[in-house]
Amino acid sequence: MDIVDEIRALSGKYPDRRGALLPALYVVQKEAGWLSQEALDTVSRALNLPQATVKGVATFYSMYKHRPMGRHLIQLCTNVACMIMGAERLVDLLKEKYGLEPGGTTGDGRFSLVVMECIGACDRAPAMLVDTDFHAGLTADNIFRILEEYE
Amino acid sequence: MIKVTIDGREIELEHPVTVLEAAKQAGIAIPTLCYFEGLTPFGGCRLCLVEVEKLPKLQTSCTLMTADGMVVRTETDQIRAARRSMLEFLLINHPLDCPYCDKAGECELQDLVARYGPEAGRFAEGKRRHPESFDDPIIVRNMERCVLCTRCVRMCNDLQGSYSISVTGRGSHSFVEPFSGGRYDCEYCGNCLTVCPVGAIMSRLHRHSYRPWFVEKETETVCGFCGVGCSMVLQMRENSIIRAIPRRGIGFNEGLLCVRGRFGYEYVEGGEELTTPLMKVDGELRQVSWEDAVSFVVKRLREIRDEFGGGAVGAIASGRCTNEDNYMLQKLVRFILGSNNIDSAARNYYAPAELYLERIFGQGITANLISGIANSDGVFVAGGDPTAINPILGLQVRSVWRSGGRVIVLGVPGGLKRFIPYELTPVPYSEEIVLSAIVGRLLEDKPLRGENAALEAKLRSLRIPSDDELGATGVSSEDIVRVAGDLSSMTTPVVVIGPDVVQRKRASKSLFLLGAIAYLTNARIFLLAERPNYQGLLDMGCLPELLPGGRPVELEMFRHKTEEALGMKAPEEKGLNLFEMIEAAAAGRLKALYVMGENPLFNIPDSAKVEKALENLDLLVVQDVHLTETARIADVVLPATAWPEKEGTFTNLERRLQRVRKARRGKMASYGRDDWKILADIAERLGMTKTYHRVEDVWEEIMHVSALHTGLGYEEIAGGSALWPYYGEPLRGMEGDFPVEGLDELPEVTVPEKPYLMIDRPLYHSGTFSRRSKALLGIHPGPSLVISPLLAERHGLSDGDKARISNGRGVLELKVKLDGDIPDNQVFLANTFEGFGAMGLIGFGTDSVLGSIYIDDNTVRVEKVLR
Ligand code: SF4
Ligand code: SF4
Ligand code: SF4
Ligand code: FES
Ligand code: FES
Repeated sequence: MDIVDEIRALSGKYPDRRGALLPALYVVQKEAGWLSQEALDTVSRALNLPQATVKGVATFYSMYKHRPMGRHLIQLCTNVACMIMGAERLVDLLKEKYGLEPGGTTGDGRFSLVVMECIGACDRAPAMLVDTDFHAGLTADNIFRILEEYE
Repeated sequence: MIKVTIDGREIELEHPVTVLEAAKQAGIAIPTLCYFEGLTPFGGCRLCLVEVEKLPKLQTSCTLMTADGMVVRTETDQIRAARRSMLEFLLINHPLDCPYCDKAGECELQDLVARYGPEAGRFAEGKRRHPESFDDPIIVRNMERCVLCTRCVRMCNDLQGSYSISVTGRGSHSFVEPFSGGRYDCEYCGNCLTVCPVGAIMSRLHRHSYRPWFVEKETETVCGFCGVGCSMVLQMRENSIIRAIPRRGIGFNEGLLCVRGRFGYEYVEGGEELTTPLMKVDGELRQVSWEDAVSFVVKRLREIRDEFGGGAVGAIASGRCTNEDNYMLQKLVRFILGSNNIDSAARNYYAPAELYLERIFGQGITANLISGIANSDGVFVAGGDPTAINPILGLQVRSVWRSGGRVIVLGVPGGLKRFIPYELTPVPYSEEIVLSAIVGRLLEDKPLRGENAALEAKLRSLRIPSDDELGATGVSSEDIVRVAGDLSSMTTPVVVIGPDVVQRKRASKSLFLLGAIAYLTNARIFLLAERPNYQGLLDMGCLPELLPGGRPVELEMFRHKTEEALGMKAPEEKGLNLFEMIEAAAAGRLKALYVMGENPLFNIPDSAKVEKALENLDLLVVQDVHLTETARIADVVLPATAWPEKEGTFTNLERRLQRVRKARRGKMASYGRDDWKILADIAERLGMTKTYHRVEDVWEEIMHVSALHTGLGYEEIAGGSALWPYYGEPLRGMEGDFPVEGLDELPEVTVPEKPYLMIDRPLYHSGTFSRRSKALLGIHPGPSLVISPLLAERHGLSDGDKARISNGRGVLELKVKLDGDIPDNQVFLANTFEGFGAMGLIGFGTDSVLGSIYIDDNTVRVEKVLR
């Protein structure tokens, strides 16, 4: 199914086309990992919503990315609970091992890192999301074992 | 009845309104920032806070509805402190660059801070930085100044319907942006600029050239671009236009303008105006004195009339000139030179369509209020995009959709695309079949009421297409059922008719069918008018068959009335229309042509043919502001005043008489003379005994001669509410029959191998006039061939490539622009840019019933130009 059809099919599930906007943005973001102007335009056409409206919504939410991202997106929590449990050390380790800065992407385009506020897993802190997978109870050891699974 | 007490004053309200509005009614002004009259309340700035008894917290009066017994206070210490805090928050990021900001002096934030403080901010961190954007030719965006009131976004979405900007990002990194983040891709109405309370979005046209208090004079006038006739204020300094702005409270456009009205005025500031009369000497135009030019024209006109008779003289009037100018041209030609050969570009569609509809329904049938469209529950549009041809009327159509009504467009929907539930785009030149099918289907639901016998008789003999015949148009019978069902369910419908349905073969039938739809559904008819005074041309008798007041010249009773009123004689037989004059000139029967404010060489199809005909004349006089294509081949060119220098009246498409007022005078004004004055001078020298001192004198005479204008003096007109004496009922019933071509036939639908060349009617331009406006050129800089991606693919063309279009009439090479919204196998080209007009390559014929033109043979060969 091409992407436009996929979006149109989605829009059938909502009482009005605007309702499908957020899921449609996910659909196009899945393709390239971020939302280019062309991607936003595709959504605008597929849903027959104004381009500017699409952009306004897409730039409001932080889960949509507006510049190219690595193949895998690490979203590492550094909020209070995770911080106490050593998340900041993990940030340093990522930098040491991959040269990965918060907000940055590795040179080989493998990982991008975004530091997050609480992702709701304080009881198993520190925690992160890799793409859509959830990982908790991170340590200096297991974090790299986990990440090595993502090519 | 709702009773509220505001600041100790008791107010009684019929209907619940917001506290802010209730206070306003009582003359109490509550400060606001995000509120703007006419826009949906937003409640974002919290400056309109008020105290309401029994409510614990301060309330935003712009969103709070009044309730019975409410007690409100609008200025207390608590409120003042809250307002001061809100302003302090806004000033955290607002750059205090008032000395440098063009808005200073009319900035709402500045005024509010001056009133409530704070004297100093306490925020010690730096301000956000965001560079000013100069990516756009018209709008400069300084987002550091933006207070995020969203007035511009609400204007663009809710009133303009362009949906071109939005607030992007979040928190203190929110900015208002067009999709591109830089240049706008929008309708450039500039209405967002009107509502911005601060200097965040401003027009570049007058950047850093003035301060609001530099405005020396304001002139209230009407726009000179289209037949809507929006009111506007020209702000002047040193005889130069600083800004053209709308103003709520004047005119029916309610504070809105379109791109042409707001930014197009520069065409008269461009310095290209003619400065002296010109005369052809040894094949070249040379500067001469007024006296030499005028006496030459007088001498030649007299000689030609005396030798060949009045019938050898003709004139072309102008939809851009005032009623007074056009009346005077008509008087000169008809009553002094003795010729009914007078016509104008309104012949291209407006005049014949209106006269034909009036034959069916009576005079004044298309005289309806533009502001009434928004109150209707459905619109049927055929033959042109109202949002481009008559933009402010187009906004009314959009608002029908907004209030839940249905908009149906026959043909390419253009600016209405977002406002229609489905498309109805038959293959070109098959509209007649689709309309017949719609009428056929409507007849099944709607009984004939017996009000219009002639029309009903014709409906009975109308040939309704079979499903097969319909199939060839690309529109299915299900579509027809749907359209007819929608039309039937409308209770207060409107039918909007544009130029394209009239410029087709058998236009009488298409108009008859549209008339039938209006008749069956009880709709009001609107005829789109491309020029500000097309209607005035009809009313002033600038037609070969009509005298001033719309009286048929060939009906003796009417002619005598006019002749009596004037004490002068008019020829008994109707004259030649525009195309007949061209034919007669080519054949040597027409010897002299007087052209006022029109450019026939560019605005009539098949320019090669027109040029030959005009060259064949003994005398071609052109009276205009600029040296147009036609002026270049004239024998005499007389410079005329431009729109901001004129005094007089325009009549808009709803028959509203409006005053055009002079904004510029003195040495900065152009060197032209008023059109009516030049004509009166010539007429006097040819024996007219009456003298006119002021333009009012001309209007006095019009009021005396035309029954439509009796009692409508300049004072009555000044208020903007002087309409023809027509109240929804035809002025003069037309009993009797009317002809329709091909009632029992259906056209053959052929899909030609080569694409059709269609006339584009872009929003950003208005004929050839606007090509001198720097601002409009900034938006739409030059000609291009607009084609569908499919057509482009077949010819190996991509956006920006050069293509050649050609046919027997000529060749043009232009850049192509791809547009996914236009149908395949059609090439759209505007008739705007010198040397690249669409009309030159279009063949035409004249309709035997209407006397209008129809486009015939307009296919072109498309090739890619290889470098
Ligand atoms: S100029 Fe008009 S169309 Fe363009 S952004 Fe402003 S309001 Fe919208
Ligand atoms: S640009 Fe002006 S109108 Fe628009 S949100 Fe900012 S301050 Fe308000
Ligand atoms: S709609 Fe017509 S009259 Fe109004 S501003 Fe635009 S061009 Fe002028
Ligand atoms: S603080 Fe990290 S998951 Fe809650
Ligand atoms: S004017 Fe009421 S909240 Fe802004």
